[in-house]
Amino acid sequence: MNQSWVAFLPLFVKAAGITIWLSWLALMIGAFGGTLIALMRTSRFLPLRLVALLYTEFFRSIPILIVLFFAYFGVPLVLGIDLPPFAAATCALALHASSTMSEVVRAGIESVGKGQWEAAHASGMRYPAIMRYVVGPQAIRVILPPSVGVYVATLKESSLASIIGYIELTKTGLLVRESTGGGFAPLLVLAVIYFLINYAISLGGAALERRFDVGQKFLTVGAGQ
Amino acid sequence: MTGPILEIDTLVKRFGSRTILDGLTMSVHPGEVVCFVGPSGTGKSTLLRCVNGLEDIQGGEIRFEGEKVEARSKRIVAVRKRIGMIFQQFNLYPHLTALENVVLAPVVVHGEARKEVEARARVLFEKVRLSHRIDAYPAQMSGGEQQRVAIARSLAANPHLLMFDEPTSALDPETVGDVLAVMRDLALEGRTMLVVTHEIRFAADVGTRMVFMDQGRIVEDRPPRDMLADPSTERAKRFLSSIQG
Amino acid sequence: MQYTFALRTIYPYLGTLWQAALVTLYLSLLGIAISLVIGAGVAVMRRSRSMPVRFLGAAYVEVMRNTPLLVILYIVYFALPQTGLRLSSFTAALIGLSLNSAGYMAEILRAGLIAIPHGQREAAASQGMSGLQAFRYIVFPQVIRIVYAPLGNQFIAVILASSLASVIAVEDVASWMQTIGSTSFRFFETFVVAAGVYLVLCQSVNLGRIAIGRALFKHLRSAR
Repeated sequence: MNQSWVAFLPLFVKAAGITIWLSWLALMIGAFGGTLIALMRTSRFLPLRLVALLYTEFFRSIPILIVLFFAYFGVPLVLGIDLPPFAAATCALALHASSTMSEVVRAGIESVGKGQWEAAHASGMRYPAIMRYVVGPQAIRVILPPSVGVYVATLKESSLASIIGYIELTKTGLLVRESTGGGFAPLLVLAVIYFLINYAISLGGAALERRFDVGQKFLTVGAGQ
Repeated sequence: MTGPILEIDTLVKRFGSRTILDGLTMSVHPGEVVCFVGPSGTGKSTLLRCVNGLEDIQGGEIRFEGEKVEARSKRIVAVRKRIGMIFQQFNLYPHLTALENVVLAPVVVHGEARKEVEARARVLFEKVRLSHRIDAYPAQMSGGEQQRVAIARSLAANPHLLMFDEPTSALDPETVGDVLAVMRDLALEGRTMLVVTHEIRFAADVGTRMVFMDQGRIVEDRPPRDMLADPSTERAKRFLSSIQG
Repeated sequence: MQYTFALRTIYPYLGTLWQAALVTLYLSLLGIAISLVIGAGVAVMRRSRSMPVRFLGAAYVEVMRNTPLLVILYIVYFALPQTGLRLSSFTAALIGLSLNSAGYMAEILRAGLIAIPHGQREAAASQGMSGLQAFRYIVFPQVIRIVYAPLGNQFIAVILASSLASVIAVEDVASWMQTIGSTSFRFFETFVVAAGVYLVLCQSVNLGRIAIGRALFKHLRSAR
């Protein structure tokens, strides 16, 4: 086996940092967008609900790859704006993450019992205040654990950025492979690094879930269901 | 007098280092209704499960109609075909209607014709007073109804022995009576029954024997009225007075 | 620069789209079928009595769920040929996709198996059913009900993931969009059409699942 890939390990580590940053950024934008969509999904106004539903179903039914192609190759043609690979990848990943996160946030909001809304309304609170002080804090416990899963998914999906030439972890592995004579090892190293990052995050998520599970029971008692 | 239908000889059952049944010996003759009472965790349910080969045994022997009961042997199926078991949690098959629950085993295990089994099942549903619930799914029935379907299910195979493992413990109080009434009918038919129960009144009225168990052993084994009137051991006395309130 | 959306500009390429759609469909269907089989095997491994077998099953699931499909595809496509095995792009994509999806299938099926209460198997045994009969008549029908919805989602995930095959030169719908887009410079149209194909495929699975589910499991709400 060709040993020279070892020399590139620092490069791999740096690239792993880029991958983590890219997917984190996409997740954050996705979480923000997803929350807005979720608020629309749970709204009282049918048109809002409909738009949100179409948005989620649309992005859940098309591959990220073609969104990425469109963002990178299509947007410059259509809008005349050149998106650098990083921006195109972030957009595509964030769009997809937002549709997944909207479902996660919706499940969180819906997990809060009707009684909480009624009680808050009865005490004279209005929608923004109820969301901010009553429903939001309770929903967040349901939202956080699966969000970790969304992060892992986004992190894996971020490997697609390599296809449009953005040099993150996967692209680094491919480049190292080329410059070391096309061996097997760089790809394996790539897989191992991804695995380690994601497995660590998943373990963290599982711990989070266990912690919130206790709170969850407590919370149901409070909600009187 | 015919020989015993069930013989249990110095039966030992352990879970790890815990001994559940500790050299238990007894025999049951056809037509007897044996009610097992005693504190929970004393091996009553485990005893029934051993008889049905649902548990390995660590010592002694169980013979049902002269045939040795061994949990892991192939012949256990032949024994189970002749024993009906009713569980505390009913264990009805939730994806099947009441009728299908009853019909399934005779058709797939005993290879009987579906038509004949269905006809027999309808009679059984009358017997358990559930003819009107024949097409309901378990989730649509009350616990008492589910347990009566479970009884019909166990009767469908024409078993020679019926075993009830705390059949009313998981029921709402108002449905307990219906199940006990069905069991009473079965006893009056002369069926051989083993019943683990906390319903002392039922045991006194219907049982032909009452077996008081404690810590994996039989403490007393007498006709129920005698035992209730005058428990010969202190343990039985304490338990019976506590349960009768 | 002014860009006018005009679907007719890509009419000449619709013939190749049909081919590409078939490739996506075959790849997805085969991937679903194969990963379901492998997944069932892994799910059984995870319930084995033997510790090493259980560990192997769990390790498989974790590796597949925590490694990007793209990397797996590269490994299958670039690395396997080095062992002397010659694979077409399509075969390599199918292998990678199936191995990856099997990790998820295994978890879905395992969750289904775990959800069946032990009492169900005991009741079946007490009625004299063999292990096989209990599985066939009691366990399996209930597992299907539990895994039905998540399996549908996984089917959709496989269809979407199949688009990555374009990266290793499989001429599927994503590849069509890329190729035609860059030759005709009609990326908006090719995007809309490609998205439409995936949308139709995924929503057919989605709506089909709902319809079949309604018909199959009408009044079956799980009891215990």
